[in-house]
Amino acid sequence: MGLDSEQLIQDLAEAEREREQLVQELRHALRGSERRFEAIVGSLTDAVTIRDREHRFLYANSAAIAHLGFDSWEQLRDTPPAQIMKDYLVWGEDGGVISMDDIPSVRILRGEQAEPLLIRTVHQETGAERWNLLKAAPLLDEDGEVEATITIIEEVTERKRAELRDAFLAQASAALASSLDYEQTLRNVAQLAVPDIADWCAVDLLDEDGDRRTVAVAHVDPQRLSLAEALRGYVPEQLDPERGIGRVLHTGEAVFYAEIPDEMLVVAAIDERHLELLRAVGFHSALIVPMRLGERILGAMTLVGAESGRALDRFDLELSEQVAARAAVAIENSRLYSARSSIARTLQQSLLPEQLPEITGYELASIYLPGVETSMVGGDFYDVWAVRDSWLIVIGDVTGKGIDAAALTALVRHTVRTASEFDASPSRLLEFVDATLKKRPVLSVCTAMCVRLQGDRATLAVGGHPLPLHVSSEGVRELGEHGPLLGAFADACWREHEVHLKPGATLLAYTDGITDAQGQGDVRFGLGRLREAVAELADRPAAEMVDGLARRLAEFQTGAHSDDTAAIALRRAVAGTAGADRAQAHEVTRAGTASAMSATA
Amino acid sequence: MVRQARITISEEVRGANLQLSIDGELDISTVPLLEAQIEATHESPTPLTLDLSGLTFMDSSGLRLLIELSERSRREAWQLSLVPSRHESANLVLRITGADTALPFTERAPE
Repeated sequence: MGLDSEQLIQDLAEAEREREQLVQELRHALRGSERRFEAIVGSLTDAVTIRDREHRFLYANSAAIAHLGFDSWEQLRDTPPAQIMKDYLVWGEDGGVISMDDIPSVRILRGEQAEPLLIRTVHQETGAERWNLLKAAPLLDEDGEVEATITIIEEVTERKRAELRDAFLAQASAALASSLDYEQTLRNVAQLAVPDIADWCAVDLLDEDGDRRTVAVAHVDPQRLSLAEALRGYVPEQLDPERGIGRVLHTGEAVFYAEIPDEMLVVAAIDERHLELLRAVGFHSALIVPMRLGERILGAMTLVGAESGRALDRFDLELSEQVAARAAVAIENSRLYSARSSIARTLQQSLLPEQLPEITGYELASIYLPGVETSMVGGDFYDVWAVRDSWLIVIGDVTGKGIDAAALTALVRHTVRTASEFDASPSRLLEFVDATLKKRPVLSVCTAMCVRLQGDRATLAVGGHPLPLHVSSEGVRELGEHGPLLGAFADACWREHEVHLKPGATLLAYTDGITDAQGQGDVRFGLGRLREAVAELADRPAAEMVDGLARRLAEFQTGAHSDDTAAIALRRAVAGTAGADRAQAHEVTRAGTASAMSATA
Repeated sequence: MVRQARITISEEVRGANLQLSIDGELDISTVPLLEAQIEATHESPTPLTLDLSGLTFMDSSGLRLLIELSERSRREAWQLSLVPSRHESANLVLRITGADTALPFTERAPE
């Protein structure tokens, strides 16, 4: 475009003359408010326009002419107001479409009160987005009739965008910190970005093998999401490391396309259909930022300005980089957490004996059903080992969180085993564990039930744990008495109870995961159902009893059980069975318990 | 008021005393809600009353929370009062563990 400077100067001079004349006329017409007018025009750098009753421009200061996208006053003056509106898409603050009738000056001409109006405009051609605050006031003639309206257009784009960005950053950060389910969280964040920040927002993650997976695609209009679905069919197996998301995931650097001309789509398109889809999205500008921690690239976040025509700018780029950085931290935390939580789970399970020892004259069987993963791990444990002339069986439940619970379980098991070398009395063992737990700097509590088995005599003590059941053909009864939880209360002590196990009688110890199991309508399994179940299984071998119990529990339960569940059954062998034959040899094999112990220790 | 299908926690300030009334089930999945509610509303050394009379179930994680609160109240020197549940199914875990006598339970709701 050539520039004829002489012509330009002449034009300017003429415009100036014309404007002077108009202002003179206005001053004349608005004698009463001359001073006010003078003050407004003099002091404001904002765009100021004055329109007549037919809504034609009578005056526009130079800021207004530039703001409305005109080169000269004449151009503006000769363009019908509706034509000017046509170049813009206009929304209110709430996202609703604004028409000419909503404009304050037009409302004043209709005789209405007009509050200041905040509008968002996007130029149809350039995609430039602006936020404007329109304030209008009537100019009255001598009879008090509205003769003209004066409008001040205050551009608040930067302020409004900063506000939206702050809001988005705050909401996204809160969302990212709120949950450990990071895929859901990323979907929420993508949703928050539209339409305030962009028309489209997508999040892609890289897994350990370097494969890309799209976890979120958001658009304010759900119907348009099918476009994204269709486009995904065109994603190549191997991303181009030189371009687009491939480049971001490869280099860890953001890419920013301030404008996406059609030629770019043509180059990117794989075939005609692909090009159609790309054009249908209406790409206007796009940015892709990496989600990375140091050198590790976890994924990328893509923002697209499309059909709204909005052009993303460097502020949007900065903002997305901040959100992506926070997302990366959230992803990492969540991955670490699940790793840690499964370590805790594994550790907890590894604390259970791999195989129960054989106790001469007895059958021994157990079940352990780990609870679903939650931040709380109810660590059930049990252990069976031999000490001198007796066998010891311990079952307990540590309530705590993750690795701490597993560590506590390990401590309890170790403590009770070590203590049993000195004193194998169940009440003394509970006292010992209680004292050990109380020495811990943080509240450490656990339930435990301890049985010492010598021949057919079982001595037991119970600390905050459900009482074990004595199951025989004669019926089911609870054994022992409740004693305090371990590690919890001052001046605690435990009493021992003794029972003689007849052949065929079973001692069943369990954790509250069984009685607390939830069925239909939040009904709990409870002691009643447990008693019924084991009564029916009374004459079964120990292994069948615990399996049968587990089956009944599974039938009763709705959904996954949230707490650990464990049970251990000790059944005195019936005469004539293999177990009973060994029972005869009980006294003789006692010497062998030392080796059994070292094997299980 | 915090409301989830299985637990309702309502808050009432009586003079210098904060009272939280808990109805429903206090177990491994609802304990975090009560924990969060206490965290948000209770400030040491304000006396705190937990009215559990409407509680229909409590498991060991609920008990653990009560013990933790009891420990904390001792350490920070504020008064904790617990109103027992009207339901045996909620008191069972307290009875089994000896918490019914060891924790600061009142006989009935303070008037």
